[in-house]
Amino acid sequence: MADTRLEETGVQGMTITRAGERPAGGQGELLTVNFGPQHPSTHGVLRLVVDLDGEVIRGVRPVIGYLHTGIEKQMEALRWQQGVVVTDRHDYLSPPINNLAYALAVEKLMGVEVPPRAQALRVIMSELTRIASHLVWLGTSALELGAMGVFMYAFRDRDKILAMNEEISGYRMHTSYIRPGGVMADATPRFLEMLETFIRQMPSNIDEYEDLLTNNPIWVARTRGIGRLPAQDAIRLGATGPMLRGSGVSWDLRKDRPYCGYDRYDWQVAVEDGCDCYARYLVRIREMRQSVRILRQAVDGLPGGPVNVDDRKFLPPPREELDTSMEAVIHHFKLFTEGYSPPPGDVYVAVESGRGENGCYIVSDGTHKPRRVKFRSASFVNLQALEFMAIGHMISDFIAIIGTADTVLGDVDR
Amino acid sequence: MTTPVKLPEGILDQGAIAGDEYVTVPRDRLRATLEALKAQGYESYVFMTCVDHLATPVVERPPERFELVYQLRNMRTHHELRVRVFVPEDDARMPSVHDLYGPANWDERETWDMFGIVFEGHPNLTRILMPDDWVGHPLRRDYPVGGEPVDFSEDHETWQTAPPEA
Repeated sequence: MADTRLEETGVQGMTITRAGERPAGGQGELLTVNFGPQHPSTHGVLRLVVDLDGEVIRGVRPVIGYLHTGIEKQMEALRWQQGVVVTDRHDYLSPPINNLAYALAVEKLMGVEVPPRAQALRVIMSELTRIASHLVWLGTSALELGAMGVFMYAFRDRDKILAMNEEISGYRMHTSYIRPGGVMADATPRFLEMLETFIRQMPSNIDEYEDLLTNNPIWVARTRGIGRLPAQDAIRLGATGPMLRGSGVSWDLRKDRPYCGYDRYDWQVAVEDGCDCYARYLVRIREMRQSVRILRQAVDGLPGGPVNVDDRKFLPPPREELDTSMEAVIHHFKLFTEGYSPPPGDVYVAVESGRGENGCYIVSDGTHKPRRVKFRSASFVNLQALEFMAIGHMISDFIAIIGTADTVLGDVDR
Repeated sequence: MTTPVKLPEGILDQGAIAGDEYVTVPRDRLRATLEALKAQGYESYVFMTCVDHLATPVVERPPERFELVYQLRNMRTHHELRVRVFVPEDDARMPSVHDLYGPANWDERETWDMFGIVFEGHPNLTRILMPDDWVGHPLRRDYPVGGEPVDFSEDHETWQTAPPEA
């Protein structure tokens, strides 16, 4: 690899090195700069080797793997129902959506359909997560471009979502709430109360973000026309989520390949055709508004009934039954010693996360542990579009471009 | 199969599992199949990965140890199709498709890194997730979990270690 030949000159964090290469055009000497992996604007541990001609970017080579935790290997050593806790941890800004992809894949392979209340709760958690994930993006991206106040506002609202996560699942971040067969527990009255307040407050809070940024001349100057990604190239490079919708392609898995009853809600796909960082910002803001709209409908139409499938071969019996039923004890024992075994085969399920297509491909060999679990992560694919977006821009705009891709490095490296 | 797709010659098998449609093609027909599918609107490449069938308990044994799956999507009809290719262990080579589908570039690097499948024609087939000097391919089924000795752990001497040349 080119970057291993480079000599350090000793500035920590952002080491400037000379590659001694000349561009084909015979202009100035290219300067190769190492960006990260511990640079504050790389959203985690992303290392970028950037070729600079003066201040203009001529080439970008992302070097990833610093956050590789072998999640897919770990899944092969865990039973099907244990794998849920690991799925939380790849895209650590949207754990319930990761849970959902895995749960839907296992259910698809087993031919299980969860009850309507579980589906509505899954939608509620997915949309809350989407808002939380967009808020982190909004806060950090604005912070990197100098709008420091937005970060405080965004994290104020994100914290309300984390408090709701805690109320419903016991955990603020890694909820493991959505599981194969349903959800971990029913929504508590306090959760619904918090959610109600949140839905009431959120539209005016989103107005607040828009007041701070949408017509802010500095924000517009730093994002409009920066990081252009035309629709054809977005599809060619496999970009999904706001990266694709910001390029004018109306593609949202919730609309186009609906799951969890998303087709029953009345909402619109947020599409902007600016193809730049500003368009992607608008998409994310509009998506938050649509998420609040879905939340409103999901809460109003929240059906009653159980939150788990009634299948003793798949989920443990309720605690009360263990005291009176020998059969329940046997089922409980079997589930927690051996687990369940889906039929041999492979399925792929994709859900829309805040970053794009978050898919889960599972292969069963008929035993109680997966043969293979592959996470098709949106960040991994979207990051490949970075070089295309960055070439020709100034290094200062590179910060906006890294931010706009909204990569979570845990999701890239898995 | 309800696929309204015109498939090129040389399909070994086709069917559906839980609604997911697939076709199996021989390795030398892969590029031709993907080219034909791309021309028919399967422009969206979802993912590619490898499955290691070493010592599988499945009764209908897969023909070879490694299976590569390419998930493609037609964004107009919303139809998805999975293309499978089986690759023998002693000849783990594949033609690269990075020029057909851009995102395949990193997926192929990852599959080389994790399974040791060589993609012929790839411009930069280097490790992507593991360090450059790593030995072995961690997602192979004969590569143990805990293969990396854990420093300062009490029981590090009893940990399984990676085979010298996996």
